[in-house]
Formats: sequence, C-alpha cells, structure tokens
Amino acid sequence: MSELLCKLKILVFLLPLFFLSSVSLGEDNTVYSGPGDNKDGYDTNKYITNSLSLEERKGKKSNLIQYVTLKQLGLPAVEIPDNNPISREKIELGKKLFFDRRLSLNNTVSCGMCHVPEQGFTNNEIKTAVGIEGRSNLRNTPTILNIAFSKFLFHDAREFSLENQVWQPVLAHSEMAMPSFGFTIKKLQLIPGYKKLFNKAFPNEGINMETFGKAIASYERSLVSGNSKFDKWYYGGDKNIVNEKVKKGFDVFMGKGNCSSCHAVGEKSALFFDNKLHNTGIGYAESMGLLKNKKTRVQLAPGEYVEVDNNIIKSVNQQKRKNDLGLYTITENPSHRWLFKTAGLRNISLTAPYMHNGIFATLDEVIDFYNEGGFQNELLSPMIRKLNLSSLEKENLKLFLESLVGENINILIADAISAPVGDLTKDDPNWANDTDMGYNK
Amino acid sequence: MHLRKFGISILGAILLSVSSLTVADETCMSPYMAKIVGQEDYVYVWTLGVEGLGDEQDKLVTIDVNPKSKTYAKVVSVLSVGGRNEAHHSGLSDDRHYLWAGGLDSNKIFIFNVHSDPRKPTLHKVITDFVEKTGGIVGPHTFYALPGRIMVSGLSNNKDNGGRTGLAEYNSKGEFIATHWLPTDGDLRGAKKEGKYADGYGYDVRVQPRRNVMLTSSFTGWSNYMMDFGQMLQDGEAMKRFGNTMVVWDLHTRKPKKVIDVPGAPLEIRCAWGANNNYCFTTTALTSKIWLIYEDDNGEWQGKAVADIGDASKVPLPVDISITADDKGLWVDTFMDGKARYFDITDPFNPVQTFEEQIGSQVNMISQSWDGKRAYFSTSLLGNWDKTGSADEQWVKLYAWDEAKLELTHKWTIDFYKQKLGRAHQMRFGAYSLYSSKNQNKEKEVTLLNK
Repeated sequence: MSELLCKLKILVFLLPLFFLSSVSLGEDNTVYSGPGDNKDGYDTNKYITNSLSLEERKGKKSNLIQYVTLKQLGLPAVEIPDNNPISREKIELGKKLFFDRRLSLNNTVSCGMCHVPEQGFTNNEIKTAVGIEGRSNLRNTPTILNIAFSKFLFHDAREFSLENQVWQPVLAHSEMAMPSFGFTIKKLQLIPGYKKLFNKAFPNEGINMETFGKAIASYERSLVSGNSKFDKWYYGGDKNIVNEKVKKGFDVFMGKGNCSSCHAVGEKSALFFDNKLHNTGIGYAESMGLLKNKKTRVQLAPGEYVEVDNNIIKSVNQQKRKNDLGLYTITENPSHRWLFKTAGLRNISLTAPYMHNGIFATLDEVIDFYNEGGFQNELLSPMIRKLNLSSLEKENLKLFLESLVGENINILIADAISAPVGDLTKDDPNWANDTDMGYNK
Repeated sequence: MHLRKFGISILGAILLSVSSLTVADETCMSPYMAKIVGQEDYVYVWTLGVEGLGDEQDKLVTIDVNPKSKTYAKVVSVLSVGGRNEAHHSGLSDDRHYLWAGGLDSNKIFIFNVHSDPRKPTLHKVITDFVEKTGGIVGPHTFYALPGRIMVSGLSNNKDNGGRTGLAEYNSKGEFIATHWLPTDGDLRGAKKEGKYADGYGYDVRVQPRRNVMLTSSFTGWSNYMMDFGQMLQDGEAMKRFGNTMVVWDLHTRKPKKVIDVPGAPLEIRCAWGANNNYCFTTTALTSKIWLIYEDDNGEWQGKAVADIGDASKVPLPVDISITADDKGLWVDTFMDGKARYFDITDPFNPVQTFEEQIGSQVNMISQSWDGKRAYFSTSLLGNWDKTGSADEQWVKLYAWDEAKLELTHKWTIDFYKQKLGRAHQMRFGAYSLYSSKNQNKEKEVTLLNK
C-alpha cells in the first residue's frame, strides 16, 4: 500500500514535468515560456490564478550567435546579408534597442512591448496590436522567432529585408510614432551609452540609419529555433521522441489535411511556410461584415459572461478600422485582395491568438476553420477546401503542431528577459529634463 | 459622529457648524490631508488633450467656482503640460500645497504648485523617471497623501503591458522611496491568498489609519486601458485581463496581509469615517456591484457583494463613487448611461438605491463640496474609452444637491470642447482658506483631520 502510494506520488510529481517538457528548459531549468499572468481556465468560475512575480523575472543571458552559425535540426542555414555580417556586438546592441521604450515618441513603446518574449515573441493577450497612445492596429503581432527565413516581412509582405523592416514600426503613426529618421538618430545619440555601443558594433560608422537597422536585424536574425521534437523524429531519426499520435497528426498534415501545401515541409528541413501569400477568406469575411452578430459575448469575470448589444459597443468604438485587404494594400492589384503571408508553424503553440487578425484564440479553432474549407469568396485559394477530418484526426493534428516547439525556446526567452528594458531616465533627452535636443542652442 | 475624527481645527466654533453637515466629497481623500470645509474657490480639472482640438495636449484647467467672484463659473487658468499623457487622476499633498497629476500612458507625474496662487497654478516639477525608478511600474494612477509621503498606485508594468503592478512610494518632495509590489502567486510577499486569485493587479489605494489598514483594488494593464473600448469588448483575450482582487495591507509596514477575491474589476475605494465603522466600499466596473470590504468580529478583513448597480448586461460601468461624511450615502456614477445614482448605505450590508438622474450622455467623476450642497461632474473616462460622435460630450457641470428632497438642480455647464480644452477628467478643489497668508474667507476655516 505504502509502496503504491509512493509510486503514485512520484507519478503525480513527474506528470507536470512531462507536460512542461514540451517546452524546452533553459540551462537553469526555469520555464520562462508562457504569460506571466496565466489565464488558462478563465472561462469557468473554477479559474485559479497562477501569476508570476515581476520582481523574479530576471532571465539569463546566452550566447545567441551560436544559433545563427550552428546547424539546427529541421532548419536550413541562416542566410546572412553580405553587407551585415553577424557579430556578438551587433546582436547585443540590437537586443538593447529592441527592448528600449525610448525609441517611441513618448517613450512608452518598444519592439518588445508587442513582441513579448515569454508570449512567443508575440502578444497572447490581445487579438491585434495596440500602439502608441492606444492606437489600433489592424493586425495580430507576428512572432519574430525564425524570422531570419522569411523572404517577405509583415502580413502583407511589404518589406523584403529585416534591415529595412525595422524602421517601419519605429516611424509608423500607429506604432512607435517617431517623427523621422533623423530625429530618431539624434535621440539615440543623446541617450547616454548608445554612442559607445554603436561604435563598438559598427567601427567608423556610429549611429546612422543603416547601422540602426542592421543592429536590430542582427538580434532578430539570431532568434532561430529548431531541434523540435518533431525535428528530432522526422529529421533526426529518433523514433521515440514523439508518440504515435504526433506521427499520425503529421500524416494528416501532409495528406488529408493538405496543410503542407502552404506550410511547406522539405526533405532536409521544414520552415512550415512557403514564402507566399494566400487567401483563406478571413480577410474577405471581415471586410464584408460576415463575422459580426447582433450581440457580442463579453466576459465580465472568471466564468461570467453577458450578451451585449452591438449598439452599446459601437457607442464606444472611437477608432474606426479600415478594412484589411492584405497584399492589395501594397500593389492595388484587385487579384491581390485578401492575400496574406503564410505564417510559419514552428512554436505555434506559444503564439496564440492566430491568423493575421488574431481571430482564433486556440489551435482547435484554427483547425476547425480549415476543416470547414475557409470562407468562400471568388479569390479563395484553391488549396483550401473542406477536409472532413474526424475528431481524432483533428486532435492528432493539434498534437503534431504542439511538437514544433524549438529546443532552445526557453534559452531565447530567458536571454531576452535578461535584457534591460529601456525607460526614460533623468539623463535622457526630454523637455521635462531640461534637454531641448539642441533646438534652442 | 464624524467629528470624533477631527484632530485639530483652527476655530473650535467652526466644528459646531461642521457637525450639521451630512455629505462631503473630501471624504474621498486622505484623512491626513488639510480640508476645505467651506466654499471652495477653484476646481482644478486634469484634462486630456485631443488630436485636432486646440493645442492637442493635456492641461490643468482652473475653474473659478466661488459665486461671489466676478469670474464665477469661468475658466481662469489653463496650463498645458506637453503631450497626451493619458491624463487621469490627481491627488494633493498632505499640506495641500501641491497637486500631483499622472499620465497613465507617458508615466510622467506633473507636480503643480497650487498654493502660491490658487487661481493660477504653476508647474513645480515633472517626474520623468517613474518607470525606471520603480523597477517597471507603468501607469501612475492614484496619488494618495500619507504623512510626508505620496503613495502612487500603478496599473501596469513595462514587461508585458499587462495588469501586474505595484505601489510606488514617494516623499512629498517628489523623491522616490520604494516600490511595493502587489502580491502574486509567484511571490505573495507574506500575504494570505484567501480565495482563488492573487493576480497582482492594481488601481486605487486608500487607508483606515486607526485600523492600520491600507487597501488596494485592481483594474487592468496598459494594453487594455489604452485600447479602443469597443475593440476591447470584442476581444475575448483582452477581457480576461481584468483584476479580480483587493489587497489588505499593513499600513505601517507596507506589507500585504491578505488577498481578497472581488471579481470584475474593483475600482475606486471609499472608506467610512465613523469611529466604529471599520469598512470601505468599492464598485466593480464589469460586474456592476457594490462590494463592502469590512473587518469582521474576529478582526479579519472580508469582502462581500452587497448590491447591484443597474443591469450588468447593459454594461453600465460604475466608475467614480463618493461616500458621505456620515457614512450614510454613496454616490455612484455609471459611465455608459451617464447617470448619477445615490445609495442609502445606512446599513452597509444592504445598500438601497434611493435616487438616480441622468447627468449627460456619459459621466465619470463626481466631486462634492464639503458642505454637501454642490456636486461637480465631469465626463472623460479614458482617451480611447469615451463615447463617439455627439455622445462624446466633454464638460464640467455643477449641480446643487438637496439631500432632504433627493434633488439635483443643474447650475452651470462649462463645455470643454467648445472652449478647445479637451476631455475633462478628475476634479480637485482649491481654496484661499487653506493658506493662512492668503486667507480671504476667515469664516471658512481649515480643519486638519487626524493630526
């Protein structure tokens, strides 16, 4: 009896570890992945908080350059632009910039405030991004994990290099709202410490438009995460690393589910995206108002909801949102309406909510959507059709997707968390600090 | 009854006149603070700048409210502070010489000198390094005077813009003293998690010094309070990020003692004044209830939902509340229907609504005069939460309140949009009577509470 009890106790102790092991641990065995403010089960009144201490959020610095230079199972080699060779100094500088809130007009928004490390370098807590002064953005924050492999950047593919891409959120009115390239550079020059770091990372160049982009791009390029359990099985030959359900889920992914037609899997590596754009019908349905009901179910507290008349919601809906037409916004080609970039699926279980507008909260909802054949429209991708997946097939498919968490994810998160968050200090340029940035001198 | 609370009064005879008063707004403020017990001379309105309106930036607007003045019911001073900081709440120092006003977005704290010339406040100091000094608190909300101190409650943090946050303690000079994190499951900091929640969220802070108790409530983080309100209501994930707790603290040691479940975003806290009334009220913004936080017979602090406010399915959104000096009445403003509601709280466990009136298409704050006869209302809730179109009225209104008849009578309105000022948020009172050197109304004395 006592022996059985003892075994049971061990099992109870080990079970959580088993589940946690789906997220790789860092060197210190602290799990950093997942929101610090856990809301699992919030839809019922049985919800119990599991909130983490902000004071204890310290992380651990790592040598990120290894993930750029060393081969990871399941991933191709990272392409480094000739004009921006990777270096530790650039990565460290880029990381500091990435988490520096002073890079916004009012010193409140950094890249890292939307790409939150422990939330899969996206934001699990809102559907679409909220920018400076609370301005609404149309789209869900994409993860920057494995962004090094993307030929196109942004959901609508409007940029082609990380070096150029980094400027757009900094200057966008609805994101960080810096007024100009020049003002951003001047501000950086006046913030104590940056001159030295830029000179170290970019000898003889210092702070300028190019080096700013190159530094942040170098950090983003280092967030490479392969060696998932799937990779170890499929590319590494470790038959026991995933169970049969995961393998059957992969069969669905490659076969009946037709997922791999866009979320590509190669012989030697798998990015799980095709560097192309597709119309799933979600953009169409939203533009045509097909996703709205007369009432909205609004949560008031754990397990407590009310049905709210949409007229009430409309009365406090100040920021009228444009329709999101995807690639058409860039090309004005009518055949490009509602085309959005294929999202990568690596670490997908960490990056909810899903789709370009965050419409789905869970992977189950995503799978159900595709199983039903998307939203019909004249430009719907021919690859999207009814799948007739069984419940078991859908469950296995989800388990397969959950096996795509990179081995080093915990290390990448811990490293990001270890970076200082840049906030306004008394020594920084600001009129209230009696520094006028040279305008009246 | 509440006279027992008075420690020092400048004129003993005035105490007798005060004893007949039944309602008072300044009960909402710190018991450590100097009070205006007669006619207030000015109302300071912390006002949000609006893109496309006037100079587009936040400002402190001073309204002359003394009926004997030639500029009665006029804006007499406008002090722009730069930026749209998400101007929200403000609080006076214990000596009432300075008004601290915060920006929930920019995290700047503007300290205004309101004593040198109460008619024309000046900007004394700007704290720019609030987030850095506090170790990451975002959204300075309540500014609450303790002796020689200002306790600042935060709403968010600089790590994920969520609701976990802390209290920041400053001295009256504006120098940072300490951060007191709200208890989370990861670090309860010695507090007892009484129920299911220890979310670490923050909003308001109030004290009952004679019980050595400090209370905090909980709202939501930057991502939500800065987001378009209509958008947020439709975002299922965002709606999970509201506070469900209140924390009982040891006032002297600043240590959290107990986390109480109060589901649905408990906001403003108003504590009773009676010597034996060991309780405070709050209202939950989302679940639309009045909660009583009280000390039970065993000396334990408990929370209990004691009344509903309107119809929760219509999201009335109770916002500002105000308790009367005799602990018999509680004003509750509900933003969405623009109503002021009055509850009889003679039995604190059974509040009964006895009056309601629509003040406008939207209403947020209420500030009553000390004599209880004047109630000022303002409109703005948050920059991105206010109503749209013609319903986006922005004003300060004065009403006369007749408690016996349960009657509000409109006196005047100052249209903040028409005057290109912005969105009117919190109102604080100023008076010459507070400062002996410029005491123009000697019959309207200053009374110091609990000193």
